[in-house]
Amino acid sequence: MHTEAIDPPGIVWQRVSPKYVTVRLVEWAVGNLVTVLLLCLPLVFVLRGWWVWPPLWLAVAAPAVMLVAAIWRLVLIPRQVRAIGYAERDDDLLIRGGIFFQRTMAVPYGRMQYVDIGVGPVERGLGLCTLKLHTASPGTNAKIPGLPAAEGARLREQLAARGEARLAGL
Amino acid sequence: MTAEGRFPEPGAPAGQPVRGTEPLPGPEPLRGAGPRSGTGPFPGPGPGPAPAVGSTASDGEWLRVHPASPFVRGWVALAAIAFFFGRDIFERSLQGRPVFQDELAGRAPFLLAGGGVVLLIAVLGFVLTWYFTKYQVSGGYVRVNTGLLFRQQRQARLDRVQAIDIVQPLLARIFGLAELKFEVADAGESAVRLAYLKIEDARQLRATILARAAGVTAGTGSPGEAVPEAPEFPVLAVPPSRLVGSLLLSEQSFFVALGAVVSVVLSVLTESSAFYLYLIPAALGLAASYWSLFNKGYNFTAAISPDGIRLRYGLLDTQAQTLPPGRIQALKITQPPLWRPFGWYRMQVNVAGYGLVDNAGEGTSRTTLLPVGRLDDVMSMLALVLPDPGSDHPADVFTAGLAGLDSDGGYVTTPRRARFLAPLGWRRNGFTATGTALLLRSGRWWRELVVVPHQRTQSMALQQGPLARRFGVADLVLHTTAGPVTPRLAQAGVDEALALFDQQSARARLARKRQTTEQWLRQVAPPLAEAVEAPQPVVEPPETPPVVEPVETQTKEGPKHG
Repeated sequence: MHTEAIDPPGIVWQRVSPKYVTVRLVEWAVGNLVTVLLLCLPLVFVLRGWWVWPPLWLAVAAPAVMLVAAIWRLVLIPRQVRAIGYAERDDDLLIRGGIFFQRTMAVPYGRMQYVDIGVGPVERGLGLCTLKLHTASPGTNAKIPGLPAAEGARLREQLAARGEARLAGL
Repeated sequence: MTAEGRFPEPGAPAGQPVRGTEPLPGPEPLRGAGPRSGTGPFPGPGPGPAPAVGSTASDGEWLRVHPASPFVRGWVALAAIAFFFGRDIFERSLQGRPVFQDELAGRAPFLLAGGGVVLLIAVLGFVLTWYFTKYQVSGGYVRVNTGLLFRQQRQARLDRVQAIDIVQPLLARIFGLAELKFEVADAGESAVRLAYLKIEDARQLRATILARAAGVTAGTGSPGEAVPEAPEFPVLAVPPSRLVGSLLLSEQSFFVALGAVVSVVLSVLTESSAFYLYLIPAALGLAASYWSLFNKGYNFTAAISPDGIRLRYGLLDTQAQTLPPGRIQALKITQPPLWRPFGWYRMQVNVAGYGLVDNAGEGTSRTTLLPVGRLDDVMSMLALVLPDPGSDHPADVFTAGLAGLDSDGGYVTTPRRARFLAPLGWRRNGFTATGTALLLRSGRWWRELVVVPHQRTQSMALQQGPLARRFGVADLVLHTTAGPVTPRLAQAGVDEALALFDQQSARARLARKRQTTEQWLRQVAPPLAEAVEAPQPVVEPPETPPVVEPVETQTKEGPKHG
């Protein structure tokens, strides 16, 4: 498995479920297609002759640019999902993500304040869940999306147990 | 045996683990003898003799805040009503008119009655709120019950205290009252807010809470006995002249001057005086802002006591903060370019209880550890925050962090290959780690040094964007609690960043293991035992607390910066 430059060496990353791509696709569709369709409205109005202000090139260009960006994001989704990884080390949980803007994060078990498991409608249909770790810092944005429900539950119990064992104050 | 016996010396390193050892010797012999005798010889605005204020310290007793407090809190409303009616009557009597218009005179009784009823309801509300607000300190908890219709019972663990503030707004100060704020790591509102208590009671309550939180009095000791306040030793004070100078040379003033120049130039160019008009509201706003900063920063003094760092400041509204040991999550020392000729620095901290800056004025002043100070002031404050700097040459390391370039003081900077990403700052951006803290320095003009104690690191992240990858650098972000300090190591070489990521995890892990309890006196029990046995007079050690050592090394080097 290929690891990126900023990943600590010798880590075996656990990958999230490939089914998470579907979740991202649905999110993408809701977010981007709606935007593109809305941006297409002026084009329709201009073509029907109801509006005069946006010149035709602008009315075409705006949704076109959005569409290209949306397709670019669509193409990236499978790679982004493959880039998400986590690894349980002895004292902390490593979480990585991102292709262009990469992030590798270490959350010590003793610093966890609580663990959230969230399930959205699409995730529920696919049997996935999202695990979120909270420390005393609002900057800790530690989220592992697209975990199979069983793995999510196991990880939650595991994290709680390890947090208990290594509990530290603030 | 005096009050000193209970507390370790201020500078005692907090790193001596006593895990698994027996707790402190019983509290009774320690607090029994002469509660005030230890603090007597020391200067400082200590409260009066303990017996007078013993009521607040009694254990398990439900107490109410001062009866006048609802009126002090609601004084704005009362003052507005009084002003409104008073002015009317005053003007009328000056003009020789009847106090009430004729057409109103007939209805006057009804109006008066209506007004009286409204006033009565308001006062009744005040009184009921006061009556149903009770607090209690017992068994390691502070409890507050409030509310008449919607009742609220709140209880907070004393050893979770992050900070205790005693605030005195001007009116409360006139009446000798004070508000006590008890902060826990919630980053939201204060966990416990008692407004208002008598100032002696507030101080006494603070002493009780801090002593219990420190682990001095285990269990529910003899009720009715006051816990003596911990002795404190002044460390530094900011003279008003320096405060005024720092305000005049602040970033804000720079933009004021810029705005003034621009508007004058525009006025001349357009030959219209309209631009001056825009300046009037701006000037008013600025005056208010300067006044607020001056009012908050006036008479700033810092002192150290075994309970932690004490900060006092304020001209009209005064505030006294107590930050118990180990509660500072991260620290930032900054120097704007205009302050450099004078060698001034500003220090800000993240404290879990203070949270984000909600109310701009209050938030910034509470998270300010030092509004403006010289290098030796900075060093002595650093010595308070980090009693054990974890380095053989702390002064060199910190001075290099404040003013150094390249590898001065052992800092690892941005590699030369990435100098195009930070053409000015690449020689400054750097980090170094001492045994107890990570130091991150940045900024060529706006100099900044961030200090994060290892045991306070929450989590960490390495980040790298496409451009940074092209230059082989990465950013390391340390996450701490909400506050003005956001520790970020920018543009470190990938190898160095990776190594630091690993080492920092290990250091934080070790430091966490060393810190076993939040009751800070229990962590440093061995020095306590020594202090108890030591036959030497207890007055001496605090006279030359080891804390001040770095200050003295600094004052020798001081002149070259000053």
